[in-house]
Amino acid sequence: MCPNYEFATPASPSRRSFLFRLALALNGLALLLAGVPILGYLLGPLSRRAAQTWIDLGPVASFPERETRLAVYENPYRVVWDGATAKIACWVRRLEGDRFQVFAVNCAHLGCPVRWFPQSRLFMCPCHGGVYYEDGSRASGPPPRGLFEYEWAVRAGRLHVRGGQIPTLSEPV
Amino acid sequence: MRRGASQRAGSGAFLVLMLGFFVLGCDSLPGRPKESAEEAAQSMDFELLYATHCAGCHGADGNLGPALDLHDPVYLALVPPNRLRAVIEDGVPGTAMTAFAKERGGSLTEPQIEALVQGMLARWSDAQSLRGMALPPYAGPLGDPRRGAEVYATACGSCHGGEGRGGKKGHDIVDSSYLALVSDQALRSVVIAGRTDLGMPDWRGTRGSPLTSQQGSDVVAWLAAHRAPVVGRPIFEKPRG
Amino acid sequence: MPMRFATAIAKWLEDRTGLGAALTPILGHTVPRRTASFWYVFGSSTLALFALQVATGVCLALVYVPSADQAYQSLVYLNHGAHLGWFLRAAHFWGSNAMVLVLVVHMLQVFLFGAYKYPRELTWICGVFLLLCTLGMAFTGQVLRWDQDAYWGLGIGASIASRAPGIGPGLVHVLLGGPIIGGRTLSRFFTVHVFLVPALLMALLGLHLWLVLRLGVNEWPMPGRLVDRETYRKRYEEEVQRDGVPFFPLAARKDMIAMAAVVLAVLVCAALFGPHGPRGFPDPTVIDTAPRPDFFFLWLFALFALLPAWTETFILLVGPVVAIGFLVALPFLSGAGEKSWLRRPGSVLAALLILLAIGTLTGLGTTSPWSPLMDGWSATPVPPIYVKGRSALELRGALVLQFKQCRNCHSLGGEGGLRGPALDGVASRLTRDQLIRQVLQGGGNMPAYGKNLSPAEVTALVAFMQTLHPVDEPVARTAAGPLLGPR
Repeated sequence: MCPNYEFATPASPSRRSFLFRLALALNGLALLLAGVPILGYLLGPLSRRAAQTWIDLGPVASFPERETRLAVYENPYRVVWDGATAKIACWVRRLEGDRFQVFAVNCAHLGCPVRWFPQSRLFMCPCHGGVYYEDGSRASGPPPRGLFEYEWAVRAGRLHVRGGQIPTLSEPV
Repeated sequence: MRRGASQRAGSGAFLVLMLGFFVLGCDSLPGRPKESAEEAAQSMDFELLYATHCAGCHGADGNLGPALDLHDPVYLALVPPNRLRAVIEDGVPGTAMTAFAKERGGSLTEPQIEALVQGMLARWSDAQSLRGMALPPYAGPLGDPRRGAEVYATACGSCHGGEGRGGKKGHDIVDSSYLALVSDQALRSVVIAGRTDLGMPDWRGTRGSPLTSQQGSDVVAWLAAHRAPVVGRPIFEKPRG
Repeated sequence: MPMRFATAIAKWLEDRTGLGAALTPILGHTVPRRTASFWYVFGSSTLALFALQVATGVCLALVYVPSADQAYQSLVYLNHGAHLGWFLRAAHFWGSNAMVLVLVVHMLQVFLFGAYKYPRELTWICGVFLLLCTLGMAFTGQVLRWDQDAYWGLGIGASIASRAPGIGPGLVHVLLGGPIIGGRTLSRFFTVHVFLVPALLMALLGLHLWLVLRLGVNEWPMPGRLVDRETYRKRYEEEVQRDGVPFFPLAARKDMIAMAAVVLAVLVCAALFGPHGPRGFPDPTVIDTAPRPDFFFLWLFALFALLPAWTETFILLVGPVVAIGFLVALPFLSGAGEKSWLRRPGSVLAALLILLAIGTLTGLGTTSPWSPLMDGWSATPVPPIYVKGRSALELRGALVLQFKQCRNCHSLGGEGGLRGPALDGVASRLTRDQLIRQVLQGGGNMPAYGKNLSPAEVTALVAFMQTLHPVDEPVARTAAGPLLGPR
């Protein structure tokens, strides 16, 4: 019962090495064809770097003058399984008339939610103690800059902001 | 031989029992989390609501704080519950009492504010003790500062001094900065309900006859007449530079 | 009869698999006599905890829903609905804490015993990556507890990633799976936590154990017995031949005792203290929250608060690279020579310093004195001794102190924020002029309140603060005061 070597192995050395090279090439091709889509899929969030879009925050009248209020909008890039995390909050400061300042809730230090205190007219961060004045400028603590500000516009009596991505030091809204 | 077998059977049964206890019975261990209903009830608990939102100014037990004495049957009889609710919701502009309602930029919901009002009334009011007393109403008639000066002299001057600038027992109450930070209604409430926790008597005083509603208004008008049109910044002792 | 049957089955299995013949020499391999010690049990204890984590983790995954809209509810269901779900959650949580802790102790023992030196460099490097994997599991696990801490923890992660020069924005998008934290983020972290890192961990663990078997357990370090690359392996072989003991059962029994002890400790903690969280529904519009990381990251949380602002980005980005680089390079920097901690005072000192630093930072992290007490203004009463006997104006000043949120950062009578100095006795430290100036202009990490206080409020506040001095200490006065006459 000895195996038929004649059948199992190629006859000539050149054919042997050709088959080996073919095997390498085929596997390389398979790796490439499988790997490129996998890599592309993983880096997908990079290529679809959605630009900011305009978001309606509601009628101007819902923001009292000379006060700062929390406004809530739905993240434009939401998916149905986002649940409550699709909701994003921002601080809307209405100076007077149609003059606004809209701040991200994320602290400029490390992104924790800053809270507005109307009594002392300060924003305070509960994480590392960043404090900001009512115009968003840094008052004290570790933040390297003032609060992140949204671009805003009033159209047909409604306040709109440009948003959609998490504001960070490298992409401040 | 038999003894060994029964022993083994016994310890086996014990092990099964222990395992059974562990699998079925350990839902009563101390680490088991509390039901979420208990947590939800906590957000409506008066003690907790008061301790986190009111105690800072009104004192841990409703008194001995810098702000109005809430743990005072006279004050709670004086102020109508609706007014109490409105003050918590909207605050008093120009004073330290800020708006707590969510829609006014605060952090409390309507049911939470109701829980606060009902909790205070249930714990600290005592209508029985004031039965038959002529407690002046919360809101008074228009006062007259000139009559108020007379009321002041007879009812208040012995403690707060002839001019209101402080005396034996009472402090300066005509300071323009103080008057700039207090509303007329708060002055009336203090004149009527006193600050018994800090030694100031209520409208019945320590001697003589109790103040009437009109007298209360008059003395508040007299105090209000001391308000300065413009209150300046504090002056430095030493000129800078 | 049944005994014979069982033996027959065992024999058949052994005949077909040959596993017994393969494993017996491994279990019985000889190790240096003195390593059969309780000092050598931390590695196997970590392994036991890892096994517990796998077991509890798989069970939790039976119920957990890795979807942003339902993850929280599934955790609540685990806590209250699923039979004993709370206990498994608790065991997984306490197990993770214990695993990080025991792993660090293991690493420390290896470092102090010089076990990372020639020829066990790769075992050490493998261990460094196991540590990183374990910390990765700890962070991603915290994210899976989809609550407010998890949401804002991700925000912190994204903020750190964004500081990387050039690639920052891209890194944030890849980390979050999109432009913002949401459903895609949780799915991503779920995959990393239950597939990627565990697979990597198991592969590294296999390599780690293989290397331990191949290179032998590090002998008990003796002062003066230097490691020499030429002679070490021969000498080790001779020592094991001469004075070795079989690993099983002589050394293994101590390992087994320690393994049982750490697992039992975790189970007891789980039964007594229960699961952690979930703490608050992950609604990012609920800003009434003070996010805190889990225990093992508290020291980092503290570091972020205490670093001077100008060093922060540099240290955040360069620090981890340097730290990991140093750990990987360690066996090449000091691969030979003295092993005993008795002759390596520098190493002992360095280890102690690092421990002390991390311990101190963790301690600070638990109290986080740099954070304003967000409800300090409304929840910490003015001590009655500072109310009694005060004038109407001074009482108004106390009110200003409260409702302008001063108490969020300053304490009175031991209550209140710790960010700024306590105000008890402030009047004997600062003169009236200094108080006014400090309030109006701020400075020394205090915001300027000049625009946010009315003149009357400043007067009242300063009047109140001037009453804050011990009875036997006078109010601080300007030296020039009396010369200028009465105010």
